[in-house]
Amino acid sequence: MNQYAMVIDLDRCVGCHACALACRAEWNIPVPYHRNWVRELGPDKTPEGLSFTFFPGLCNHCDHPVCVDVCPADPVEKEFRDPKTGKSMKMTVKATFKDPFSGIVLIDKERCLGCGACVEACPYGARYLNENLDDPKADKCTFCVERLEHGEVPACVKSCIVDARIFGNLSDKNSEVYRLVYKKGAKRLTSKEVDIGPNVYYIGKKKDLYLLSERCTPHERTWEEVRAPGRRDLLLAALKHVRSNV
Amino acid sequence: MKLTRRHFLQNAGIAAAAVATWKIPKGVMAASPVPAGTVATTGGLPGSLGAKEVPSVCEMCFWRCPIVGKVKDGKIVKIEGNPKSPTNGHRVCARGNSGIQLIYDPDRLKYPMKRVGARGEGKWARISWNEALDEITHNIKKVRDKYGPSSLAMFDHGASAEFYREIFKGLGTENYSNEPAFFQCMGAVSLAYLVTYGYKIAERVDMANAKAMVFFGTHLGENIHLSHVREYIAGLQNRAKLVVVDPRFSAPAGKADLWLPIRPGTDTALLLAWINYVIQNGLYDKDFVQRNCEGFDELKEAVKGYSLGWAARICDLKLDDIRRGIEMLAASRPHVTVHPGRHSAWYGRGDVQRHRAMAILTALFGAVGVPGGLYFPTPFNLEESDCLECEEPEDVEEPETSIKEKYPFTGYFGSPTAEIIKATRTGEPYPVKLWGICGVNILQTIPNPYETMEAIKKLDFIFSIEILPTEPAIWSDIILPEANYLERYDRVYANHDLTPYVTVRQPVMKPMFEAKPPFWIAKELAKRLDLDCFTCEREEEYLDEQLEAMGLSLAKLNKEGGLVTLKGNPYRDPGKAIKVDTESGKIELFSSAFDDEDMDPIPKFEPTPAPPKGYARLVYGRVPMHTFSRTMNNLWLSNECPEGKLWLNDEVAKKMGVKDGDEVIIENQDAYRSNPVKLMVTPGIRHDIVYLPHGFGSRSPLLTKTYKHGASDQFLITRYEQDPFFGGSSHRTDFVRLIKDGKTLDVPELRPIPSEIPRFEIKMAS
Repeated sequence: MNQYAMVIDLDRCVGCHACALACRAEWNIPVPYHRNWVRELGPDKTPEGLSFTFFPGLCNHCDHPVCVDVCPADPVEKEFRDPKTGKSMKMTVKATFKDPFSGIVLIDKERCLGCGACVEACPYGARYLNENLDDPKADKCTFCVERLEHGEVPACVKSCIVDARIFGNLSDKNSEVYRLVYKKGAKRLTSKEVDIGPNVYYIGKKKDLYLLSERCTPHERTWEEVRAPGRRDLLLAALKHVRSNV
Repeated sequence: MKLTRRHFLQNAGIAAAAVATWKIPKGVMAASPVPAGTVATTGGLPGSLGAKEVPSVCEMCFWRCPIVGKVKDGKIVKIEGNPKSPTNGHRVCARGNSGIQLIYDPDRLKYPMKRVGARGEGKWARISWNEALDEITHNIKKVRDKYGPSSLAMFDHGASAEFYREIFKGLGTENYSNEPAFFQCMGAVSLAYLVTYGYKIAERVDMANAKAMVFFGTHLGENIHLSHVREYIAGLQNRAKLVVVDPRFSAPAGKADLWLPIRPGTDTALLLAWINYVIQNGLYDKDFVQRNCEGFDELKEAVKGYSLGWAARICDLKLDDIRRGIEMLAASRPHVTVHPGRHSAWYGRGDVQRHRAMAILTALFGAVGVPGGLYFPTPFNLEESDCLECEEPEDVEEPETSIKEKYPFTGYFGSPTAEIIKATRTGEPYPVKLWGICGVNILQTIPNPYETMEAIKKLDFIFSIEILPTEPAIWSDIILPEANYLERYDRVYANHDLTPYVTVRQPVMKPMFEAKPPFWIAKELAKRLDLDCFTCEREEEYLDEQLEAMGLSLAKLNKEGGLVTLKGNPYRDPGKAIKVDTESGKIELFSSAFDDEDMDPIPKFEPTPAPPKGYARLVYGRVPMHTFSRTMNNLWLSNECPEGKLWLNDEVAKKMGVKDGDEVIIENQDAYRSNPVKLMVTPGIRHDIVYLPHGFGSRSPLLTKTYKHGASDQFLITRYEQDPFFGGSSHRTDFVRLIKDGKTLDVPELRPIPSEIPRFEIKMAS
């Protein structure tokens, strides 16, 4: 099985927001929502000296995606295909799921209820629901799977003006992401409380990684609230009621 | 309250009982078209895949990166870099990506308009192109006949300006091109490198191959000159050392080996001490200097009094740090980038000499025509097209006293903007009665916008050619709506960088509404003004003419993906002397051009006054998501950065009793006040400055997304000094304090000011 991953090099990143805008342009993401963002961090003191760095963020396509856990849609059987080998397999999935061949977390827009449970569950704030639409669907970064299928890199990777975003298959020992993660110690934003296997990693100076980690690592187990007893049933009942009234 | 799914979810717990009473309007749940944010599948393929790519050139800023416009079903869906470009390849920055929103900006100027209210009031009537052009022509002729041609003045910037500038030149005014880009920006650095090296473009620095770099105030990354940002990051990746001299911990300071938080206005002191240190300790390239430089002995003598210890005191830096800095740079010679900078209109007096000192330090390192140093532009042939050039009329009576008279080095750059404004206000040395404006927001660019507005009130006529209803457009009598860069041709662009290339701007789509391309507008004006230029029928004619000398045509260029690269020749032969285009034919450490005009031929340290008690110096800069003040109304860019924050030193904030996120008003020494702005309290700034990103706080109510959003630095810059060489205006000579909750707060002074530096005295306006 494969796991696509991204490593972002903070030594290269200048915080220009090209990634965020390329993503918006490629997928026509409505303002003020985003699949891809940059936050300025500092200048501030760290034990390693003053730091002025950035938090370029996107969906982490986690190993244990809590957004998938909370999805209240009824599971159905879905067939997945590996575009490379042509191998296929069947899996029972909800409206959001982790693709077994790429490790990419995706949303089936046809089946999404638009309830927003996954939006609330994600500890990284990587999902949104466009509340201005009559029939909103959860949305987030797809690692540009549609582009990958056509042999293109993700839009943010293509536009990054300093080539700070390294994208590839973490399961491939010859890949650059593998080297950076397993040989160069790329870091991810995990804490004791929130450790769900994110697949976006960061490299850079100690001081910058310190500030990033201090400011941007989630500590709140956001999904537990969403999974409160009876919540899903309540939600489904409410939806059923709404539908029957149309 | 609008009922949304989100509320539904948030209230799910308490709403269980209420569900039965919810009424959903009919039709709401019906299938809607694919919502934005899901895969758009026009043209069969998702996103921008499979689009037709039209090569062109960006103009979201002046850096002009080669791009492709991606078109699907006749609509432009995305902008990417031109993969053939040796500088940016397929990359574009945030602004480049957001060009689409400039096309579809609902505030865009759609038709020619005529003022119907008072000037500056912002009341308009739609008129036809014919009426608009006739009225402009009529007024130009009337003013020219009554006051002479030099009473006509053009403020210009950018690609469009290159067309209209010719019209004003053809009318015989000496004020045909007054580029704020020089007088408010790069005049000082351009002149300094011109007199030292004989060529004007000072920005050819080979950062990718540098072993050490030093930036004076240059905040690459916060200003996105894309190729430079790439080269600077490439240099760091190649383990180049970086020294950043800046009173603020800028983005490059965050990547630097050494940050020197210098006292504002003392950079030349540091540079002269470094130059002296390099000479005294034999850290210069003796062979290069002997072979290629003029005036070494005079330089050595002139700088011998500037010690590192003296500089440490003047610059408020640690002696060990400034020694470490110069040792770091010298150890890498000749592969050293002393970045010349760009925006250099800081203090008026002393600006040119600061950049002269940088140019001299570069030469001492031998960092010229070598990897990592300044490099030479590779010349290649590009034909000028007669069609694009208006001849200056021969029979024009020149004004008795030129507006440029006080400034010996201004002729080259046009007329000083401050002098045009003064002449318009006072009628001296002669009346200026008509302004044309194109591509520049003079009110958000030129110091003391209040004086500029006063001047505008005295004009007989003012017109602007614009894409958006900016402040100057609001003040105009006639506004012409211009096609933006994605809707038109411009000239051929020749780039003389490390790998030179030729490319061309061409339309990706037709102009929206009644907007017209600059060539069409210039042609119509030339015809009406009886000028013998812009005579060719279509843009393709002059483009082919320009390209012909290279054996190219527009069609051939497009066959090559819209861009052709040439072989660069940037480095010198180390065994030979280089030829430069100065008076002596050598690199002039001692400037004979300055000496001839009784200016200091070797830089001296001239201090700029320190802040008055209770005030901090106002310093501004850029954010990477915006260009000047012109992208703030862009839907996507304003979403990324709707307004700037005011940076304030953390110790100062503590003493003032303010904290991060507090809302304050900035008040300058002349009691002008800003819109409310949020504080960013940080250890990354000196105690004696505050820092505000430039370009926010628009005063045009027709720019709906940016009107009154954030504070404008420019409207606090009311006091300026003019540079004695070319009449540029200073931008860092204003001082501010803060107002919070109606209470005026003095900025405490945390460190002593040396006696050599005078203190600015506030004189109340009489």
